[in-house]
Amino acid sequence: MKKIFLTLLAILSPALVHGQQGFLDVTAPGNRQLQLGISACKSLNGGQNPEIVKEIDDVLRFDMTLAGPFSVMSGTGGNNDSGIRPGDFNFAPWKAAGADLLVKSGYRVSGSTLTLEFRLYDVFKEKEIVAKRYTGNIRDLRKIAHTFDDQIMLAITGEKGPFTGKIAFVSNRTGNKEIYLMDYDGYNIQRLTRNGSINLNPDFSPNGREIIYTSYKRKNPNLYRRELFTGTEALISARRGVNITGAYSPDGKRIALTMSKDGNSEIYLIDTSGKQLARLTNNQAIDVSPAWSPDGSHIAFTSDRLGHPQIFIMNADGSGVRRLTTSGAYNDRPRWSPKGDRILYCRMEGNGFHIYAINPDSSGDTRLTSEGSNEHPRWSPDGRFITFSSKRGGKEAIYLMRADGSGQTKVSRGNAGDSHPTWSTRW
Amino acid sequence: MSHTLLRNEPGFGWMLLCSTAIHLACYFLLVEFHFPPRPFKEGPVYYVDVVTLPVANPRAGTPSSPGRAPSGPAQQEMALPAKSSLKASAKPKPPNQKPATSKETARQFEERMAKIERDVDAKHHSAALDALQKKVATAGNGGQTGMPGAKGTEAGSDYASYIRSRLTDAFRTTISFQTKNPEVMVRLTIDRAGKVVGLHFERSTNDRIFEDSVRRTILKAAQTFPPPPGGEKFEYSYRFAPEGVSKK
Repeated sequence: MKKIFLTLLAILSPALVHGQQGFLDVTAPGNRQLQLGISACKSLNGGQNPEIVKEIDDVLRFDMTLAGPFSVMSGTGGNNDSGIRPGDFNFAPWKAAGADLLVKSGYRVSGSTLTLEFRLYDVFKEKEIVAKRYTGNIRDLRKIAHTFDDQIMLAITGEKGPFTGKIAFVSNRTGNKEIYLMDYDGYNIQRLTRNGSINLNPDFSPNGREIIYTSYKRKNPNLYRRELFTGTEALISARRGVNITGAYSPDGKRIALTMSKDGNSEIYLIDTSGKQLARLTNNQAIDVSPAWSPDGSHIAFTSDRLGHPQIFIMNADGSGVRRLTTSGAYNDRPRWSPKGDRILYCRMEGNGFHIYAINPDSSGDTRLTSEGSNEHPRWSPDGRFITFSSKRGGKEAIYLMRADGSGQTKVSRGNAGDSHPTWSTRW
Repeated sequence: MSHTLLRNEPGFGWMLLCSTAIHLACYFLLVEFHFPPRPFKEGPVYYVDVVTLPVANPRAGTPSSPGRAPSGPAQQEMALPAKSSLKASAKPKPPNQKPATSKETARQFEERMAKIERDVDAKHHSAALDALQKKVATAGNGGQTGMPGAKGTEAGSDYASYIRSRLTDAFRTTISFQTKNPEVMVRLTIDRAGKVVGLHFERSTNDRIFEDSVRRTILKAAQTFPPPPGGEKFEYSYRFAPEGVSKK
């Protein structure tokens, strides 16, 4: 009898048996942000440069605040820290303040050469997670800090951040719509085109080394390809009618674009030299704005074949067309996420547009913006963030947000009209 | 003749009724006199605290020397009523009781009766103690009582659940994730000193932030782990997931 009882007990209550099969659930509510402490950047050779300290702090805070998993703490324990290496400082004040992670940094300036050392610590374990030392020109300070922020994202989330990527965009700050390049956070703006005409729809190649864009500099909207590091430019499609909304395929060997050479706007495939490969759509309606799926097997596009502009998906050879969006009277500018799980698009509502995200199977249609008129959504290369243009502040400007629509932040500098952003892969 | 006999016959139904009644009466008599109701066997009582935190020393464990039956309570500690006097006073005197032939005879009679009652009580007490000791000695775990393998200082729950309560408390302060349905199954090994010596991820949805928060949970909770009961290494699996998130 006793044996039977014990056997039943062991079966019914595995928790009473040590080292046996079974498990217990451990659950907790909420999703807490990791508390990230950022210690003031220390001089490693005695000389003080407050500008460097402030700039490093600004970059780290901006990147980590936008990142999402972190809540950046303000300077706890900062000035009492004597060093940045393990054993050179005390974790206790950070631990007492509730920090989970701690970034320590130091700098050394020698002429125009800047050496930056970053260390990320797990405060609870009092253990170093990642440490990097960078040497470069002092002008590259922000880039170096962004590079380490990518490393933080890699160490904590398992995937690098997109903070060293660039954003190409259209701006009329000179009176003409020219293509510009800037850091993802709006700094280091560089002008790419100087043709005094209208330049639109920039799109990065997958390796980030060149862009394609449409320019009216020869009166007709033609498609150009430009190498960013050499400045070399090539006309790759100047067919009659429009040559617009070009999009690189994920392998970088093909370009899907809208052309009207055969009458009305249709979607075509060309190679990077401009040779036509295929016509993908063929009907009386307007078909524009192709967007590749990350595996290159499908293309989303806008078509008014049912009366109003809606988003459709077809196979990369033009077959198997199906409607994606079923709500809204005017949907445009689809953009497939790098992970393939979501598609961004703009929907006209009232007098403006809002950005939506939808699953490729038409489920999960979600509005991401609520203020102003918002257009031209593009994913960051890791799919965590979205850049878009918005008129919420008056002039159209470039904004960022997380993939769920949170953390919307303006990154455009000045009051010029900025639009058509596109985010490159990491540089 | 036959007519008379037939008229006096009670009939089959009446006979059946009588027979049933007699059998039932015999049955109840036998049950009552020969099979008195068995005393309820009480097993050891386990107090499992699943809501509040375990108390520091709930006295739920085993005696300090395993296998040895505990000594019975001291006889003088038992709150025994003064039975002789109670019984004596409880016995009403018959109204028409004849006066004793002498005071000496009545006193001797009362003393003798009190002695008899004390002897009977002592026998009952002794029998109860014997029964208790026998029950303790023959109970599970070689005579141990309380939580199996416990030492008297464990929480009022089994060790795996206790560890879970510690983990849950720590998890509330560390939970963080970046995917929709994160889940991690961890095989936890705790040595005989209460130190976490093994942390194996048996299954994971590969949410790095969630995995780190689980690691942090375990390290945080491990500061409060007592040694496993019985001086043995403890190994068990725990599945971590956000509350309210549907399981796949």
